[in-house]
Amino acid sequence: MRFKRGRSVAVAAVVAAALALVVSACGGGGGSATTTTTSSVQPSSSAKTFALLKVVDGTTDYLDPGLSYRLESWQLFQDTYLGLVVKAHVSCQTQDCTKILPGLATTTGTVTNGGRNYEFTLRKGLKYSNGQPIKASDFKSTIIRDFRLNSPGIGFFSNIVGIDACEKNPTKCSAINGIQTDDSTGTIKIDLSQPQSDFLYILSIPFTSQVPASTPQKDTENPPPAASGPYYFASYSPSKQIVMKRNPYWKKGEISSVPDGNPDKIVATLTDDQAQSAQLVASGQQDWDGNLLPTDRLSYYKQHYPKQINFFVTPSTYYFFMNQRLAPFNNLKAREAVNYAINRKALVNIRGGLGVVTYNFLPPSYPQYKKITPDPYPYNLNKAKQLVQQSGTKGQKVTVYTISDVAVDKSTGEYLQSQLKKIGWNAQIKELAGANYFTIIGNQATKAQIGFTDWFEDYPYPTDWFNVLQNGKNITQVHNNNYGNVNISSINSQIEHYGHLPPSQALSSSTNDAWANMDKTLMVQYASTAPYLNGILTSFFSSRMYLPCDVFDDNNDDLAQFCLKP
Amino acid sequence: MATRETGQQEFTLDTASELAAEEKGARIEGRSPWALAYRRLRRNRLALFFLAVFLLICVLCVLGGRASLYSSHISHLGVSDSNVNGFVTVNGKRIPVISQAHTKIGPNGQVTLVPGNVPIHPQWGAAGGKYVLGADELGRDIATRLLYGGYNSLFVGIVAAVICTILSVILALVAAFFGGAPDWIISRVFDLIWAFPVILLGIALGTALSINGFHQGFHVGGHFIGVNLAGGSLWVTIAVISIVFIPYIGRPLRGQVLALRQREFIEAATAQGAGSLRIMFTELLPNIASSVLVLFTLIVANAILTEAALSFLGAGVQPPLPSWGTMIAEGQSNLATNPWLSLFPGIMIALTVLSLNVFGDGLRDALDPRAKVRIEH
Repeated sequence: MRFKRGRSVAVAAVVAAALALVVSACGGGGGSATTTTTSSVQPSSSAKTFALLKVVDGTTDYLDPGLSYRLESWQLFQDTYLGLVVKAHVSCQTQDCTKILPGLATTTGTVTNGGRNYEFTLRKGLKYSNGQPIKASDFKSTIIRDFRLNSPGIGFFSNIVGIDACEKNPTKCSAINGIQTDDSTGTIKIDLSQPQSDFLYILSIPFTSQVPASTPQKDTENPPPAASGPYYFASYSPSKQIVMKRNPYWKKGEISSVPDGNPDKIVATLTDDQAQSAQLVASGQQDWDGNLLPTDRLSYYKQHYPKQINFFVTPSTYYFFMNQRLAPFNNLKAREAVNYAINRKALVNIRGGLGVVTYNFLPPSYPQYKKITPDPYPYNLNKAKQLVQQSGTKGQKVTVYTISDVAVDKSTGEYLQSQLKKIGWNAQIKELAGANYFTIIGNQATKAQIGFTDWFEDYPYPTDWFNVLQNGKNITQVHNNNYGNVNISSINSQIEHYGHLPPSQALSSSTNDAWANMDKTLMVQYASTAPYLNGILTSFFSSRMYLPCDVFDDNNDDLAQFCLKP
Repeated sequence: MATRETGQQEFTLDTASELAAEEKGARIEGRSPWALAYRRLRRNRLALFFLAVFLLICVLCVLGGRASLYSSHISHLGVSDSNVNGFVTVNGKRIPVISQAHTKIGPNGQVTLVPGNVPIHPQWGAAGGKYVLGADELGRDIATRLLYGGYNSLFVGIVAAVICTILSVILALVAAFFGGAPDWIISRVFDLIWAFPVILLGIALGTALSINGFHQGFHVGGHFIGVNLAGGSLWVTIAVISIVFIPYIGRPLRGQVLALRQREFIEAATAQGAGSLRIMFTELLPNIASSVLVLFTLIVANAILTEAALSFLGAGVQPPLPSWGTMIAEGQSNLATNPWLSLFPGIMIALTVLSLNVFGDGLRDALDPRAKVRIEH
């Protein structure tokens, strides 16, 4: 997914295409059943309940788990809408926040038939925030509802047996053979066409979070659908305010992997104005600022509120795509030249320091990450000039694409244009509004040569990066996320092979190594993109908040775990 | 007599004979209206001062910006050259153009951050002519960009005003002279454009044209004949501004021509067998020339303002070309810490428009003291 600030996301179409196109029967494994262990996460010992948490955050697209594809919503959904499994609500800095734990189900599932069949059993006695019991059949109706809504998440379900009819006509979807449920026993069985390494992760994203079967099959925002987590949405006024309250039917400690939460009520004021939101927190009117601190005022806030700001490295990568279907970037030397021409430290500096230099495509939080050493492309303008000369593309017109209404993205694009000019290309720039940017560059008709982009994970597995962004088989005419049209057959095969392993093999060290090698091959041998930094986010708190309670997990700060100073 | 009913003489209403009488011993002879206007203008010191200011701005922007004299001899940085990691010597001390951030990730993932990306402030003369007005967040020299941006703003404003004025005069003459269907059609077109607020119409046209440009025409023997504007070209902005201001000149001129159309000298010309074109361009046009000139100066000022507004909103001059409007927009995100990024181009716009307006008023008084020519929005 892409990070807020008014950007559209369009990954699902690609994921759908990706999974639909997969035809190779790889992976496999034995037919023995594997039941993964359960584990629990205890809330911070210093946590204590309090009446009201007031936060200011960015605006979002929807507050319906079947429709929203924005980090701002997913951050709140982690405490409201639970899936059969959930991502650990633990700090990514100190613990493994990529771990999948049981959510509404008693375990993380029983996997059989070489990773093709999953079986879950719902916990007993669970209720939604409206008092209705949580039933096994709700899982199936939730997935069907996603199709009926034409949700951006339907692409994630393409590997489920019998999904074809729903994919062909989403809004008429009525049955999925590959999902069988039994309300009396609480069992949910899911059959996949082939093993899928990331399936458990997909079950942890909000598109699979259960909502009552009676939820209207349309955008349901005011009030949003009944919740299954410790909080529910009491009201939502788009672009203005969200009010969350404790779920009256949630029993304390009911699901050990999900904290009960400290504030009784959370009121989120929504704005995308970074300066305004920072000021609201600095003045004590709000307790937490979910927007990025304005880069030009970072020094000021750092100096005046040194003990009220946390910085976190996010599972994100900012990179320049280079369209390999178009000259000059169909030439390896030209792509290498770009990599040598950009000073990654300068690009971090343009973001005020909110980034960590990278040459990898995968973010460092992944177990599959292996830092590419030595630095494959140290900043070297002369070398870049030589490569442009050798590529025979000197003087060619190159148009850099970037976003016009986000200052740092605009500066990043203009920096790239300036560097490309220095190494011998006739570099121009095209700046587009963020709301349309990814749609326009994702359309092959635009013929975008090179430009800015970034990626924030949907779930912590490499398929979310390589399959969506670097697999040539997933290139589409419109809504293409593989902006560089990277299409390397050997890499495509590897992505498909390692993307279709049973869970028992998906995280093995040999598989992790394979992903790491793929990362290195793509970035160094093929220079498929020019990654330059992993983003850092800021969390700015008012003076009454206790920062050690700030748990920055895989869905950013967990608001439910915030606490006051003792 | 060129006196008002009160009997008091006003210098702005002087006639050839009175002016001549003022000059002792001078022979009384008729002077052309242009000579009289020039004489009146010469007396208006304020208008002349602001004309000089405007011309100075033009010269600085053309020589310093477009001809790159400033960037090649003083700042040594091109208009789009970033200098994010550069250093500059200020009073013998070497300092970074942009403050450098330091980010460290600890063993437990904790982030230690010293923020950066604060550009150097205006150095005036302390850095040997470099960064006189400071740098932007990419380390580009603000003074270089201000001059080059000024050239773009003035070029767009003046060329758009010229095109707009020519089109407006032609349309006004045709509409008022022929009347009937041509008048009805042209007047409705004026009404249609007039009905849209200038900025909204400009944004709509500018946004639509800025991505893919405007290409209408046909190919003959491998040559394109027609209008071919590339997206991002200055000519897109010029075209947009030219169009949106047409009724603001065309309508008042049409009114004047309608009045002149009934005058005896037109009847005389017609009786002598003069053709339509001859009457329009040799009889009518000279009689509205003073109004055209005044409207032109006011439209230049308005065009510069509109260009700034459109560029500020992203629908005008496209990056990497700077203009005063784009510079204000770029500085907007740093307004709290680096206000000069927006302040300097803002001052330049204000000064340019003020000088044009004051000079335009002076010109109007000089050309026709009774005229009530105004640009109204």
